[in-house]
Amino acid sequence: MTNAPASDAASLLRRHRELLARLPVSFRAFIGVEAEKWPTMFGPEKAYLGALLESIASWTATEMADAFAAVARLEDEAGCRDARESDARQLQDATQSLLRRKGLLPRWRQEVDAVFRRLQPRIDERLRSADAPRRLVVVLYGQGIAIQRDGLWRRLRRIGTRIPLRLEGAQSSDAFLRTLFAPGEKPSLFSALRDSAAHGPHDTWIVEAGESLHALCEAGAGQGGAGATGLSYARLRPYRELLARSLYKKVVSGVSGPQELAGYARALDIEPPAGALLHSDEVVRAFIRDVFLSGNGTLLVNNTFVEWAAVQALKRAEPRLLVARFGVRDKMKPFSSLLLFSSPRPTDQVPIMEDPLGSFVDVEQLSYYVWVNAEKSAAYRGKTLYLLLAEGVDEMLAIRSGAPASGAGEGATEASLGEVAATMAAWLGVASGASARPLASITG
Amino acid sequence: MPPWTTSRRDVLRGAAALMADAIVPRRTYAERERAGVETRAIVVTFGGGVRWEDTFAPEGWSNIPHLVSDLVPQGLFYPETRYDGLTGHFNATGALVTGCLQNVDAYGNEAPTTPTVFECFRKERRLPPEQAWVIASNKSFGLLGGSKLRDWGDPCAANVILPKQFLVESIKSAVATDAGPGVEDRQALAEKMVSALDEGYEGFGWRVHDSGRAPGKEVRATLAKSLLDYFNDPLVPTSGDELTFFMTKEIMSRLAPSLVLVNFWDIDIAHFGAYSLYLEAIRRTDRLVHGLWEHAQSLPQYRRRTTLIVVPEMGRDGDPSGNGFANHRSGDESCRRLWLLAVGAGVPRGLVSERPIRTTDVAPTLARVLGFKMPEGEGRALSELAF
Repeated sequence: MTNAPASDAASLLRRHRELLARLPVSFRAFIGVEAEKWPTMFGPEKAYLGALLESIASWTATEMADAFAAVARLEDEAGCRDARESDARQLQDATQSLLRRKGLLPRWRQEVDAVFRRLQPRIDERLRSADAPRRLVVVLYGQGIAIQRDGLWRRLRRIGTRIPLRLEGAQSSDAFLRTLFAPGEKPSLFSALRDSAAHGPHDTWIVEAGESLHALCEAGAGQGGAGATGLSYARLRPYRELLARSLYKKVVSGVSGPQELAGYARALDIEPPAGALLHSDEVVRAFIRDVFLSGNGTLLVNNTFVEWAAVQALKRAEPRLLVARFGVRDKMKPFSSLLLFSSPRPTDQVPIMEDPLGSFVDVEQLSYYVWVNAEKSAAYRGKTLYLLLAEGVDEMLAIRSGAPASGAGEGATEASLGEVAATMAAWLGVASGASARPLASITG
Repeated sequence: MPPWTTSRRDVLRGAAALMADAIVPRRTYAERERAGVETRAIVVTFGGGVRWEDTFAPEGWSNIPHLVSDLVPQGLFYPETRYDGLTGHFNATGALVTGCLQNVDAYGNEAPTTPTVFECFRKERRLPPEQAWVIASNKSFGLLGGSKLRDWGDPCAANVILPKQFLVESIKSAVATDAGPGVEDRQALAEKMVSALDEGYEGFGWRVHDSGRAPGKEVRATLAKSLLDYFNDPLVPTSGDELTFFMTKEIMSRLAPSLVLVNFWDIDIAHFGAYSLYLEAIRRTDRLVHGLWEHAQSLPQYRRRTTLIVVPEMGRDGDPSGNGFANHRSGDESCRRLWLLAVGAGVPRGLVSERPIRTTDVAPTLARVLGFKMPEGEGRALSELAF
């Protein structure tokens, strides 16, 4: 089992100094760069880095030599061992550059992937206990998306159960969300989670194209604050525009390549506007910047932002509850797709038009990717309930990770949104605000 | 059963469904219709990269109706095409035009390191620059027309035109201030672009070798006409690929080059993460490829003497890799598994070859089609075509 978690990167690296000296230089550089990110890492990321080093340290000398043999060979071929940079990032740039120059980078990536594949069971053993908490991922199609019932959740249907819903008047977006997350007079699901033991704001995430869920979460928060991490594409608009303008100015002024642009972007001192976030700290602010800078379309397309931010949150923060709410994407204005980071709107006389049909095609694919990425993580595999709903639509898809597929769910019992709310609370083990009973077919 | 086995079966089933009873026997060769006629070759890439599942897998057919219904029945289809190099745009297309895998700067700051088909063709046949063109929507393809090798390079490289870069520069200028009509004043944009033909053209994406540093009168007139056609088209086109299409048509009509590489690139909008826009771009590319072939058939210089090769630059990531269609960085099977369609002169009609081929085979095939020599490379000419 793992040692006590390190309180900071320096002590972690000190603890493993001898091991680090024996690692291939490109791998050592990677560890160093990761350690530099410590102040902006979520708890699971810190635990992962510790478990990674401890897992390598648990190898015998033979096992270690065997695991890194191919990486070491490629480094020799590229001349990486001559790299002497003391700064981890510079060392990484130098080794990557040497590998790239020799055309060895793709093979190096493959070999490093192989090392991680070999390590993963040991890492999982250190990080994942059998009594790890259940998790819930809710994917919502916001109102306005042109739902094609025949194609709804097409990619996921065969592994989930389609459950007919009684909306009971909750057709509108607000009513739908209220009934689902804050039914009756009792606390919302978000507040209930906030008040549960050992639960912090990084354990509940709301990522949405609009801001209705943010408003709902705030309205029911009371004295304790939202207790959740929220990212709203709509609320982050001033931030996005400032970031896009800064990048565009830099691009126009001339950059030597993406690395220079990335360096410039990392150094930008731009903050989300006051009130935009449900919970703000250094880690969340760095996360937002990373999402906008690393997910290609996240600055420009609301649903891309939702998917990419959700996937990154699942990967990095491993929340117990994640709600990803897609919306209607704007149509691309004439020529606008040609100008990455620019904002042609001020001089563009064409009104903004929504693309409800295209949005449906997009979110079908993106919601599938949310599920694919969650299931890649041992934190979610076998522990997670996925609920996919479309506002105003009288059915949902439920997928219980690790459970046998129940097919199309023909003949499944109809449920009310209140029962879905109760099911979510019961799944997460928190007090239900709903007076309805959980769906035994899901929670059982 | 490994996924590849299943995929391969799907490939063949899909191809067979497209053209029942049409698997090509290994030693079947097409016959050239008329001996002694000067052949021309056009290569069109689905630049940006497309996945098998979004194109020639049965679920993708609706995205490529013209290829499926109009062009495949006229040509030879290779469903087992691969690209094994770096999955970046420049290196992937570099492999296509040189017959060798390339490992140069991914953003187009370095030329290919082995001679291109354009250089070999022009040098051996002592042809003027108007005979070989690269018309590329990808604005980083400025150096794709030739290597920088001694005895090769600029003197025998292709003319390179980057229509999208030209468009971007004009639009940047149009949206630089909040005042003014912006991008909606198509007339103003057209005028700006036509006048830009006379100034700083290299910055705008021209690399035209015919008379020193300035495009010649005929080339300029050709480009100006295509710009006006583009802006005045009743369909109100707005994409970079549509401008590439208009420029290619005009270059074919006026200059009738023997060797043309057309790179469409709207598909790379996939990086924005909007699947519908990616599919829309595939459908547009399908329409433009068909339009180019129809245009070729309408021109006496091309009709019945032109070989068309259509091939994706590369694939894109498979869904298990995470964000699937949005990227092409994983190097997985989905990034590498392509298809190739050959149509026209010297190509057997309505057949499928199950023989595995590589995109590096395109360059030596062009050399055989057009009758010039390429230095020994990694690719081999497609033997099913008649040379």
